[in-house]
Amino acid sequence: MKTYKIISIIGIFAIIAIATISCSSTDGAYKNIDPESTVALKSGAQLWGENCVRCHITPAPSSYNSTDWETIGLHMKIRANLTAIEAEKIFEFLKSAN
Amino acid sequence: MLLIFVGGNIIAQNDETKEETKKMVDSLVKEAVAKQGYKPSKTQFMIRGYGHTGFAYTDTNGETESSFDGGTFAPIFLFKHNDRFMFESELEFELSDGELNIGFEYADAMYVINDYMTVRAGKFLLPFGTFMERLHPSWINRFTSKPLGFGHDGIAPGSGVGVELRGAFYIGNTKWNYSGYVTNGPTLKDGSEEPEEAGMLSFENLIDNNNSKAFGGRLGFFPLSDSSIEVGGSIYATDGTGEKGSDYEDVSAVLYAFDLSYVKQIAPISGIIDVKAQYNHSNVDRATYFDPEDGDTYSFDNQSQSYYVQLSYRPTMAGNDFVKNLELVGRYSELTTPEGAEWESQSSQYSVGLNYWLSWRSVIKISYESTEAEGGHGGPGITNIDTFSIHWAIGF
Ligand code: HEC
Repeated sequence: MKTYKIISIIGIFAIIAIATISCSSTDGAYKNIDPESTVALKSGAQLWGENCVRCHITPAPSSYNSTDWETIGLHMKIRANLTAIEAEKIFEFLKSAN
Repeated sequence: MLLIFVGGNIIAQNDETKEETKKMVDSLVKEAVAKQGYKPSKTQFMIRGYGHTGFAYTDTNGETESSFDGGTFAPIFLFKHNDRFMFESELEFELSDGELNIGFEYADAMYVINDYMTVRAGKFLLPFGTFMERLHPSWINRFTSKPLGFGHDGIAPGSGVGVELRGAFYIGNTKWNYSGYVTNGPTLKDGSEEPEEAGMLSFENLIDNNNSKAFGGRLGFFPLSDSSIEVGGSIYATDGTGEKGSDYEDVSAVLYAFDLSYVKQIAPISGIIDVKAQYNHSNVDRATYFDPEDGDTYSFDNQSQSYYVQLSYRPTMAGNDFVKNLELVGRYSELTTPEGAEWESQSSQYSVGLNYWLSWRSVIKISYESTEAEGGHGGPGITNIDTFSIHWAIGF
């Protein structure tokens, strides 16, 4: 079974590459993102509308209090593979509008 | 006159002091609350989860059966230690065939390393395609059943015990997400216990049966900047599936899947269109199995595949509140297991449903499903199963 070994090696290299890219920049989503990119120009409300409907029906901001949104924010960021900037903007919006 | 003037002044003064005292007390209270009152703690513990119950009427080759479903209760425990570190776990209590079954769905710790990487360790749902990881909870799944090829006797792995690295990033304006993992490998059923299942893979791998681990991953990307379309490819492979020391130890397996999701509100049709699809392929090395019935050995090309396509429409922009919450949904799925295996089968299934959303996490599902299976557990020949069901699912 050579093929999958090759694939996993490629995968590991891809991960190392991503790690290198990410370590070469400081953390903080806003700093890493091109301010002219589409996602940087979108509001938290718009990103909420576009992303939270992809798997289940979109929860309204009033569904949870701000403390709960923080926990859910971390859970969804990981489970739904949200980018850091998306998660930051969406959950800031949800906490401001609940 | 003087009396009135003085009196009035006193009353006015009284009002002023009252006002001032009130302001003072208010600010003191605010200060006290801010200092030690209702300030959320950094660590948070949440119990969430879901449950469902319903009624099903089934007709299997003319033999009918009807039953209320005892229900499922699946509590989910989320513990956020800080902004980067979290633990999640799900148990599933299910009444089926008159018994209480308890499932241990997942329990994993997650740590956000940086903006692009999160590591998970423990028992987690596998991103082999999207159905098991993202769409199977009953308040998310538009049908009561899973598509063919998933779940019991499925050909796609649902969860694994190991470690995973996942994250999301942009290349230009295109969003990507990835996951790569190592878990305990699957187990090959060699027929010594259940001869009719010889050659099947079992993904129940809490303890590995050999030293070969399963390596896998998924890469997904969004061709459009509004995130409406996601396309993904997954792989899951191991170079040994059989019991350590047995003839089957080095029987390897490679599985792959493709998935698609399209969700978009479309104004001319006043609603949201939701398309989900996944194709799974499993290829296990050829091996020789023993047939206790005729005392002979046999072998077959061990390849299985399955797919499903689901389309749903919710008229979210309709004027009427009742209509707004309705959803029309259809799903088609097929499963083919290896020719020559004792579990050789070919099945196809279509499902249609009308759902009513009571809230974003609670739904009443009315559905009709028709499955035609050739071979498999129903024995040789064709089995037709028609099911009509009403289910209520709620997330909390
Ligand atoms: C990629 C799929 C996906 C996307 C996108 C997604 N969710 Fe979820 N969400 C899930 C799944 C799956 C669960 C159920 C978790 C479980 O049962 O294990 C869930 C559960 C939840 C819950 C219940 C509490 C919890 O944390 O389990 C909330 C609230 C929620 N999602 C909010 C959101 C919001 C807000 C967004 C938009 C940022 C979002 N979701 C985007 C898949 C997704």
